[in-house]
Amino acid sequence: MNNLTQTTQGKEIGLTSCHTCYMLNKQEQSHCSRCDNALSVRHHHSLQQSWALLITAAILLIPANIYPITMLIDRGNIRHDTIFSGIAHLVHTGMFPIAIILFTASILVPLLKIVGLTVYLTAISFRLPISKKKLMLGFHIIEWIGRWSMLDLFVISITVALVNMGQLLDAKPAPAATAFALVILLTQLAAKVLDTRLLWDRLESKDDTH
Amino acid sequence: MGSDCIKDSVTLCHSCDLVVTKRALPSGVRALCPRCNTVLYDTPYCSINGMLALCITALICFTPANFFPILELHFLGSVRTTTIIEGALAVYDEGYWLVGIAVIITAIIAPGILIISILSQILIIKYRLHSPFFRRQLKRLLGYQHFVSQLTMLEIYLISILVTVFNLSDFADIFLGLGTFCFILLFIATLFLQREYNVEHMWSFLDE
Ligand SMILES: [Zn+2]
Repeated sequence: MNNLTQTTQGKEIGLTSCHTCYMLNKQEQSHCSRCDNALSVRHHHSLQQSWALLITAAILLIPANIYPITMLIDRGNIRHDTIFSGIAHLVHTGMFPIAIILFTASILVPLLKIVGLTVYLTAISFRLPISKKKLMLGFHIIEWIGRWSMLDLFVISITVALVNMGQLLDAKPAPAATAFALVILLTQLAAKVLDTRLLWDRLESKDDTH
Repeated sequence: MGSDCIKDSVTLCHSCDLVVTKRALPSGVRALCPRCNTVLYDTPYCSINGMLALCITALICFTPANFFPILELHFLGSVRTTTIIEGALAVYDEGYWLVGIAVIITAIIAPGILIISILSQILIIKYRLHSPFFRRQLKRLLGYQHFVSQLTMLEIYLISILVTVFNLSDFADIFLGLGTFCFILLFIATLFLQREYNVEHMWSFLDE
């Protein structure tokens, strides 16, 4: 036991942790001895997959913000709202707390996720000298807040079902809703497929060369 | 020194693969990875009977939460109500099927599967059903547990109901329905259930 250091990794002592049930297994095993799921020491393809999902999400973020996300008919007047104009309207009517909630969930969170994951993947791919501890903390935050983007889609679904009185008052979803749903799906997947152990491997290999 | 003797005394961080020596923990304390701060393990506080009670409460609330009206809109003398399912189907019918499916999965199907899955796991463990069939089912349920709980977004839906109320109060009078009350109960029961539940501890029942 004495030869364990502050940076010894599982792969150096021939062990790997099962990603389904967290049981320790020997690296030679192909399947976990407790839950029978496939084991892998590192997912080397996960970096590429994560990049692909992230870039697609970043592209879709543009239509999600430019096109209207809802359409409202109020006594014959048709109003199209983008994510941003909907929030601006809330600010005008003095509902600041709701505006802040929606701004955070629909604009800040997706943007932070895409920027954060880009920094993260760049740091792994190009071995940038950024503090690994800070990157990991950022990654945990991204994983945790990501789901809150669903808020706007829930609001749209309740509104569309509730506000449905013909020409007097009617609400319908608009094209940005699908783009926004895809952004949420793809960014969640990009964070999920990434094997974060790769980041720490790069740290080790960099230190070895010194 | 073989890897066998190390295996029982250490654990590996899921995020950075660091080897960490296991230590006994006082209850309520979590062990974090010293290098990347990921949660490594904690003392399990799974009470099987407590979770069973929470599961049953959640199941009772589940149907009314989804089928009773959550909101009522009064506009120029007419009244409209909606349920969670109608909300999801309304966007689906407008052609936004991706949004509709996302709402149905995260607000209705995933919470339902989560509750039934934990209930089945508890029953298998409580009544010591050790036959290969039940062991296989338990493995399967535990394998999907993390995925299902990630898809469960009751807390976000609850906030959405409130946001919608304030959003629409500009145009019409909005009232909360009976469904909202049941939904809040469902949310509370599920919240405590997920707090009590510990997937690594549940896996350890398979070691016995
Ligand atoms: Zn396993």
